[in-house]
Amino acid sequence: MKRQKRFEELEKRPIHQDTFVKEWPEEGFVAMMGPNDPKPSVKVENGKIVEMDGKKLEDFDLIDLYIAKYGINIDNVEKVMNMDSTKIARMLVDPNVSREDIIKITSALTPAKAEEIISKLDFGEMIMAIKKMRPRRKPDNQCHVTNTVDNPVQIAADAADAALRGFPEQETTTAVARYAPFNAISILIGAQTGRPGVLTQCSVEEATELQLGMRGFTAYAETISVYGTDRVFTDGDDTPWSKGFLASCYASRGLKMRFTSGAGSEVLMGYPEGKSMLYLEARCILLTKASGVQGLQNGAVSCIEIPGAVPNGIREVLGENLLCMMCDIECASGCDQAYSHSDMRRTERFIGQFIAGTDYINSGYSSTPNYDNTFAGSNTDAMDYDDMYVMERDLGQYYGIHPVQEETIIKARNKAAKALQAVFEDLGLPKITDEEVEAATYANTHDDMPKRDMVADMKAAQDMMDRGITAVDIIKALYNHGFKDVAEAILNLQKQKVVGDYLQTSSIFDKNWNITSAVNDGNDYQGPGTGYRLYEDKEEWDRIKDLPFALDPEHLEL
Amino acid sequence: MSEVDDLVAKIMAQMGNSSSSDSSASATSTNNGKEMTADDYPLYQKHRDLVKTPSGKKLDDITLQNVVNDQVDPKELRITPEALKLQGEIAANAGRPAIQKNLQRAAELTRVPDERVLQMYDALRPFRSTKQELLDIAKELRDKYHAEVCAAWFEEAADYYESRKKLKGDN
Repeated sequence: MKRQKRFEELEKRPIHQDTFVKEWPEEGFVAMMGPNDPKPSVKVENGKIVEMDGKKLEDFDLIDLYIAKYGINIDNVEKVMNMDSTKIARMLVDPNVSREDIIKITSALTPAKAEEIISKLDFGEMIMAIKKMRPRRKPDNQCHVTNTVDNPVQIAADAADAALRGFPEQETTTAVARYAPFNAISILIGAQTGRPGVLTQCSVEEATELQLGMRGFTAYAETISVYGTDRVFTDGDDTPWSKGFLASCYASRGLKMRFTSGAGSEVLMGYPEGKSMLYLEARCILLTKASGVQGLQNGAVSCIEIPGAVPNGIREVLGENLLCMMCDIECASGCDQAYSHSDMRRTERFIGQFIAGTDYINSGYSSTPNYDNTFAGSNTDAMDYDDMYVMERDLGQYYGIHPVQEETIIKARNKAAKALQAVFEDLGLPKITDEEVEAATYANTHDDMPKRDMVADMKAAQDMMDRGITAVDIIKALYNHGFKDVAEAILNLQKQKVVGDYLQTSSIFDKNWNITSAVNDGNDYQGPGTGYRLYEDKEEWDRIKDLPFALDPEHLEL
Repeated sequence: MSEVDDLVAKIMAQMGNSSSSDSSASATSTNNGKEMTADDYPLYQKHRDLVKTPSGKKLDDITLQNVVNDQVDPKELRITPEALKLQGEIAANAGRPAIQKNLQRAAELTRVPDERVLQMYDALRPFRSTKQELLDIAKELRDKYHAEVCAAWFEEAADYYESRKKLKGDN
C-alpha cells in the first residue's frame, strides 16, 4: 500500500512506542466489569457471612474467608447490598452527602459490589469523589531517593534536597540488596538534615525491612504486597493471615506501615483467574481493611503497563485509588512507574490524582533523574520539578512540592553529606572523603560522584548489623561531631515511635513534629467553600507563587 | 467483636497484676479508666504523661543529653502495650475499629522478642508449617507471652491452612 504521509509521521510519535492490547478477559486483560466477574451477593446466617458474590462458604478461598470475617461490617451488609449501586455512586459525587455517611456504606461492601459502584463513575466524577473521600484534609506526596550504585553520600544529599522541596515521606531501595542498612541510615540522616519530621523507609525483603525498622533506621514501611487471587498470594509467599500478622508486628514496634497492591499484578504473575483488574483490586482493598492496616499503596503501582494497555485502564487505576479512600484507608496513589514514552500521556497518568488530591499523589516521585532510579524509573522525576511547580502555580492546585532557592539546596546537601561523613567515621564504617562530600553537594547523578569500594561498603553494612548498631548509636555519633540538631531530629523520631500517634490513618509530621492525620485533620470537603485549597493556604501558596524564574515587574526594563 | 475486646481487657488486667512483666509499669498507668477519644489525639501533645517507655520512664526524660550519657537503652525507645491500647481507643473512636484490632494484636507482640516474632511470621507463610507446628506457636503465644488474640490468630490459620491446603507438604 502506498503510505499516506500523515500516517507515516504519526507512527514516529512517542505514543507509538507504548504497548496496547485488545481486551482478553480469560487472561485478565480487562479493566473492570469483566464478563467473568461475579455478581454482587451476600447471605448472612447467625451473624456470619455464608455466601459472598455468588460463592458459598465451603468454596471460599483464604482471601474470601479473611474478608468475610474481618473486612465487612456484617450488621450492615445486607442493607447495603440491597442499595442501588448507581445511587451509592451518586452519593459519592454529591457534595451534600458527608464523608461519614459514605463510610457507613463502604464499610459493608463485598468486592463485587465495590467494583459495581466504581464502574458507575466516569473519570471526572472519580476526581470529585476523591476530593471528598481522601482521608487527610491536605493532599501530599512521597518521593524516591535512590541511585544505581547505592552511593550513600549521594543518598543523604538527595534526601535533604527532597525534604526541602516538600516531600513528607521518602522511600529508598537498593540496587544490591546487601547495601540496605547503609541506604536506610543515609536517607534517614539526609532527610532529617533537610527538614526534621520527614518519614523515611527502605523497601527490601519483608523480614529484612522489619529488622531495619526495629533498629530505628526507618520510620515506616510500604511494600508489604497483597494480591487478589489465592494462587498469586501464595506465589508471593504469604497468606492473608501471615500478612495480617506482619502488620501487627510493625505496629508492635511503633512503626507506621501500609500494604501495596494494584491492577495488573495478578496478570503479570500469571493467575488472574479470568477476573477484571478492578474486581481483584477490590479484594486487595478489603483485605487491607480487614487487617486493620491504616494505609495502602495502590493504583497499579509497578504494574501500570498492564492496565495502561487496555480500554478504561487509567480510569480503572483512578477508580481503585478512590475505592481505597472510600474504605477510609490512607492512599499512596501510584503514579510512580515510568510507563509511557509520550510526555502527554505521562501527564495523563497523574492528572486525576493531582486534580483530586490524594494522601500521596506519587508513591514515588523520583527525586533524582530517572537514570538513578532503582525502582526502574518513575513517571515523573527530578527533571520535571520546574514543570510541576508551574502546573501547581497555573492551576492553584497542590502537588506536595514547592520551589527552593539553589543556595538553600546547596547548603542542605552539603550538611547532609557531612553529617553522614561524621556518622561513618564514628561508627568505624568505610571513610567518606571530603571530595565525596563536595561532589554530593553539587551532584545531579552518580556520574558526578567519585567511585566507592562497594565490596568494602557491603561488608561494613553487614558488620554494622552484626554489631547491633541502632539509631541510638547514630544519635550519639551526630552529637559527638556537632550535628546536635540532626541528632535531636532522629531522637524525636524515635520518641514518636514510643507514642504511636503516627500509627493513625494518613499521618505525616511538620518540621516541628506536629502531626497531621485523618484523626486531627480529617478531610472536610463538601463542595465550594470547604476543604483544602492551595490558594487559601498562604504559606504554601506564597512559596509556589514565588517561582524563582518568574519575571518581577519591579525589576523589568520596559 | 466485643468478645475480643473483653478478652483483651482481661489480659491487660492480668498483666497489671503480674509483677514479673517488664511492661507492667506502663500497663498500670491509665487515664482514670476513661477511654481515649479522637479529641485526646495527638497523645504527644495532649497526654504525654500517660505514655511511658517500656521501663516506665517519662517521655520528657528521654533527652538528647541522657542519650549521649548512655542513660537511655535503645530498648527504651519502644512502644508499650498501654500506648497501643490508647491509640486503639482513639482509632475506634475515630471510626476505625479494624485498626484497633490490629493494635490489640500488636500490643501482645510487644512482649515477643524481635527474632522470635520474625520466626513466627515466617511460620505463617504458606507451606512452612505443619498444623501441629502452628498450634505449638499458638500455645507458646498464650502461655509464654499472654498473647491470647495472636494465639487465636494462629489457631484460626492452622484450621484454614489445613482445609485450604497451605500446610507444609501441601505444595
